[in-house]
Amino acid sequence: MSGSAFGVLRVLVVEDNEHMRSLLRSLLNSIGIREVHEAANGTAALEILREKTCDLVLSDLAMKPMDGIDFTRDVRQSPRSANPFLPVIMVTGHTERNKVEAARDAGVTEFIAKPVTTQSLFARIGEILERPRAFVRCETYFGPDRRRKAQEDYAGPWRRHGDKQDLQVL
Amino acid sequence: MKKVQVIPPDDYPQMVSKSDAAKMARALRSPETAARAAKAIQQQSQKLQLAVHDYVRELENAIGNLPLVFEKAHELRGFAETAGLRATGRIANGLCRYFDSMEKLGATPDHAVVALHVSAIARTARAKDEAGRMSDAVAKELATLVAHKLAETRAAL
Repeated sequence: MSGSAFGVLRVLVVEDNEHMRSLLRSLLNSIGIREVHEAANGTAALEILREKTCDLVLSDLAMKPMDGIDFTRDVRQSPRSANPFLPVIMVTGHTERNKVEAARDAGVTEFIAKPVTTQSLFARIGEILERPRAFVRCETYFGPDRRRKAQEDYAGPWRRHGDKQDLQVL
Repeated sequence: MKKVQVIPPDDYPQMVSKSDAAKMARALRSPETAARAAKAIQQQSQKLQLAVHDYVRELENAIGNLPLVFEKAHELRGFAETAGLRATGRIANGLCRYFDSMEKLGATPDHAVVALHVSAIARTARAKDEAGRMSDAVAKELATLVAHKLAETRAAL
């Protein structure tokens, strides 16, 4: 496939390390993505999203003044968010369970552990393209379905009382 | 009744049409794409290695300042391997994991362990990983030392 199909995609890279930003930009350019915006932290990224339309975000986790978790939460929940469904891939060296869970609960779509490999980056982008996740909205969460697989034939017990009758597919 | 709303992918805007998405995902798995990406990394590798050396100098200057050491080691584990400095990235990763484990235990990292890692990171980065087997051996030895120190710390708590 020529690079032209990827040419329509607009990507925002949010990363405080300029070398990582440059590397990610090069990898995205190598598959034909020409429109790549860069921000050094979450605050700058939100400013870009107010001005530009983006189809995908690659974001670091630890940044100042706003980190990738708060940035993702803002994208998902702020009334000013232009696209609360925007896919966010978190590219991070912080793979401790608490950090991963916090990012997941903020509404991150996919994770990539640093060091980034082309295989891991392209696999996650491919996953978002081919198998987009359903979104879930409830009192305490809005974001991609945190369950990896929907089991249509699930016959086991529901984890929480009232789960099944409360579930409303719109 | 509390409500959970599930919004299927067809009900919110996608990046591209389903047929384009399938074609693009196939293209991402192709050897041609991998080759183009490898070339892109290759073209960046010299610049990345210079950046690794800058971070290594900052890491060496940070000795004694544990939060700063962690910050610099964290940056190195993020891209040293991508820059072609595999052992440097691996040792930086080991150092970060040591910091994380000690934080979980509520203990302060041992300065000698930190200093050994910093020294090994600097040596492997400057050797440009030429002594690959030697670097791997150093990384393994340091991992053993960390395991020993963590066990010692846990026993003392």
